[in-house]
Amino acid sequence: MADEAADAVKRQPIVPLASLFLVCLKIGVLSFGGGLSGWLYQEFVTRHGWISDEDFASSLAISQMLPGANVVNLVVCMGEQLRGPLGSIICAFGFLVGPFFAVIAMSAGLSRMGDGPVLQATMTGVAAAAIGLLLAMFWRSARRYAGQRVGLVTVAVVGVTVGLLQWPLIAVVLVVAPISVYLAWQRTKHEG
Amino acid sequence: MKDEDLVGLLAVFVPFSLMSIGGGASIIAGIQSDVVGVRGWITAREFVELFAISRAAPGPGTMLATLVGWHIAGWTGAAVASLALFLPSSLLCYAVFRLSNAHRERAWHRAMREGLAPVGTGLIIAGVISLLRLSEAVLLSTALAFGAGVLLLLFPRLSPIALILGGGCIAAGLAYPFFG
Repeated sequence: MADEAADAVKRQPIVPLASLFLVCLKIGVLSFGGGLSGWLYQEFVTRHGWISDEDFASSLAISQMLPGANVVNLVVCMGEQLRGPLGSIICAFGFLVGPFFAVIAMSAGLSRMGDGPVLQATMTGVAAAAIGLLLAMFWRSARRYAGQRVGLVTVAVVGVTVGLLQWPLIAVVLVVAPISVYLAWQRTKHEG
Repeated sequence: MKDEDLVGLLAVFVPFSLMSIGGGASIIAGIQSDVVGVRGWITAREFVELFAISRAAPGPGTMLATLVGWHIAGWTGAAVASLALFLPSSLLCYAVFRLSNAHRERAWHRAMREGLAPVGTGLIIAGVISLLRLSEAVLLSTALAFGAGVLLLLFPRLSPIALILGGGCIAAGLAYPFFG
């Protein structure tokens, strides 16, 4: 299977680094409010045919499993598959450079607009709606653990200790994550 | 003085880079308690504002780190904070991707995925709680946040940017006596 995959990669034409950069730059600049893996799929698989459907899915799984912004991890994997280490660097840089200047421009623009009560209220509303995005994200992923006691307990323990009790996040993760992975390991072993 | 700030940014964001399980949303609670509480670099109100900007702007929500860096030490701070947050996790992803590509359906792979997923989910709700606690108008923020969340679940194709602008308009309307 590994050989097949290697052959498929060899058969593909070499994607120019400039094209990789431009596609990632475009997605970065236009990527408002999440749902970015859909965008990446559209460009890399559907439009350009650079990556196979199956390779995209396994890259996505790794990107979501590991720490880091999922999309950044995903472009790192895409870049690696297409052009090796340099491809990863070009993709990540292309993806991040637009948002880097955009957030700073927005922040600088806002502080120039002063600190009136209406602007303050607007920002509170913007933040609240953005928190709503997180809530929807939470609900969608929490639903997967319905009926899975270990998963639900893990979610609750982390949510309560880090969110309500404000315990240090890193310490909590370093304790809870190994236990959770160990229990999942035991489960997978029993399922064969 | 300036060097201290840059070292501080590295000390805060490099560990969070490697802890952001399930994506950037999971470390908001941690960044908040470090940057606002432990280090006292910015106020709670500024933090909520930076969070709002990072979500209204293009790019991953973790551009929050870029904004914190910019706020503390200008362009250098923004660059250092961005690198500190994005480089370690990217290197790890690169290494794991190269190593695991050949044998992708290994059992450990699945155990990692299934074990880490609920931790990431718990961290997201922790971030929600932390942000709502910081808000100056807790009731209004909570109501708007739940409203937005329910809308998104009912209409998954709703544009996030429209939702964010809508939230801003409603809050501004309520604050402005002529509309309120």
